[in-house]
Amino acid sequence: MTGYHVIFPIFALSLPLLLIGVIRKLKARFQNRIGAPLYQPLIDVIKFLKKGQVISEHASLALGGASALSCAVCMLLTLSAPWLGVAHSIIPLDIFTFIYLLVFVRLATLLVAIDPNSPFGGFGASREVLLSVLVEPAVMLCLVSLAVAGKSTMMSQLFSFSDSALLHHSGLWLLAGCGLYISSLVELSRMPADDPTTHLELTMTHEAMILENSGPNLAAVQYTAAMKLAVLLGISGQCFLHAIGPLWTAGAVVQVVASCLTVVILAGSIAVIEGTVTKLRWTKLPEFIAYAVGFGLLCLFQAIGGA
Amino acid sequence: MELSPFQLLEVMVAVAALLMLGTTNVRTNLTMFAAHTTFLAITAAAVGHIRHEHTLYAIAIMFFLIKAVGAPYFLRLIMKTIEVKLDIGAYIPTPIALHTGIILMGVSYLLARELPGAYVSADATYGAAASLSLIFVGVLMMVTRRLALSQIVGFLVLENGIFMFTLVKTHGMPMAVEMGILLDVLVVVMIAGLLLFRIKKSFEHIDVTKLTELRD
Repeated sequence: MTGYHVIFPIFALSLPLLLIGVIRKLKARFQNRIGAPLYQPLIDVIKFLKKGQVISEHASLALGGASALSCAVCMLLTLSAPWLGVAHSIIPLDIFTFIYLLVFVRLATLLVAIDPNSPFGGFGASREVLLSVLVEPAVMLCLVSLAVAGKSTMMSQLFSFSDSALLHHSGLWLLAGCGLYISSLVELSRMPADDPTTHLELTMTHEAMILENSGPNLAAVQYTAAMKLAVLLGISGQCFLHAIGPLWTAGAVVQVVASCLTVVILAGSIAVIEGTVTKLRWTKLPEFIAYAVGFGLLCLFQAIGGA
Repeated sequence: MELSPFQLLEVMVAVAALLMLGTTNVRTNLTMFAAHTTFLAITAAAVGHIRHEHTLYAIAIMFFLIKAVGAPYFLRLIMKTIEVKLDIGAYIPTPIALHTGIILMGVSYLLARELPGAYVSADATYGAAASLSLIFVGVLMMVTRRLALSQIVGFLVLENGIFMFTLVKTHGMPMAVEMGILLDVLVVVMIAGLLLFRIKKSFEHIDVTKLTELRD
């Protein structure tokens, strides 16, 4: 039990909330507001934990259970996915394990949405499923082509700045980064796909799914969303970082600092997108997601082209 | 495949052009066209640096000024003047066009590997693959877009593809010829813009599918 084993989890588990704070702060500045302090999401979560719950009479045990479960799985992912350049090896994380743990989190979120029998939850869930079906191939293609080029499916090896088979594949890394970034925008229900601050029932996706949560449940759901944001942005950020050749030979400290900076910069880019872009019409979304799938296909060409 | 920085630049030229297939929004298309042409100008300068042909620097600068700044600016001006607001789309859905473009990019890589030429290095192969896929993208845009303005952009991409092919695969054209072509392109864009203006004036739209209807 070294200091690293104590400090890393605390840091990795608190950074996601800070990222949400960064996004909100930047967005507020874009709208000429001062905005809440950076640590506001943390205060919010603590506040929700103290509050009581209002539970629909139609809800079963799944409502509380699924949100707690998704939160727990997301914590596991946050600690073992290499989104900060380093990770705990709690579970040996395969790219397929990674993708399907994320899908499991989504399944739990869907359960939370459908369980209380509310119509809003229902249509939020159906939208989320449609989006995830469209986005899934993109994420899969990007990660699989990295695995093909790196000749390993272990995330800890692919994203470790040490797999010499991947060193000169900067084109592949860049394309995979773009593909993962676009698909994470959709997966996280961020701006071109869904407006996280809207409360107009006809257009919202993620917010419609969590309407029935309150108190500790809501805290769990929000914390889950924050961790998912950090992990997905972090993985695409790692792709961009691996495209930079000189970083491969730099020290571990430089790599970790660069990783943290990249995650914050990508969170900032989300705020910029949300400050400048309007939400896409629902029928236009497949065109947007086609870009992510397109980047995935280009990745695959890159990966198998030379082999 | 492992890419050197120069090859990465060549691939980026093709990918930036490919992304234009994914949307029918004219303003986004023009921005992407400007980005793609800027990459191409940088590629031209890089080729000049590698082969020690210093006239290519001048060509790259002229290319950047005319095609990456001038043409998109002029087309945007036209767009504002004739008030193209409605996005009337393409004959085939844009996601399918995008994925067709990607497949054609793979095909052009296979073609480029077989091509003879003055230069048959890996650099030249990637460059030829990128330029062939630019030609494919340009043709695809000209064939599938319904808006006359988008078809002009498609033509410009096609022209870029031909320029890139001569750049990477042959010893290049004399500077005078290259400058003449650039001037021609400038004139073509201006004439096409003026034509658009006239079409808009007499038909009240620039949708090419409706141009067969007679009007008095």
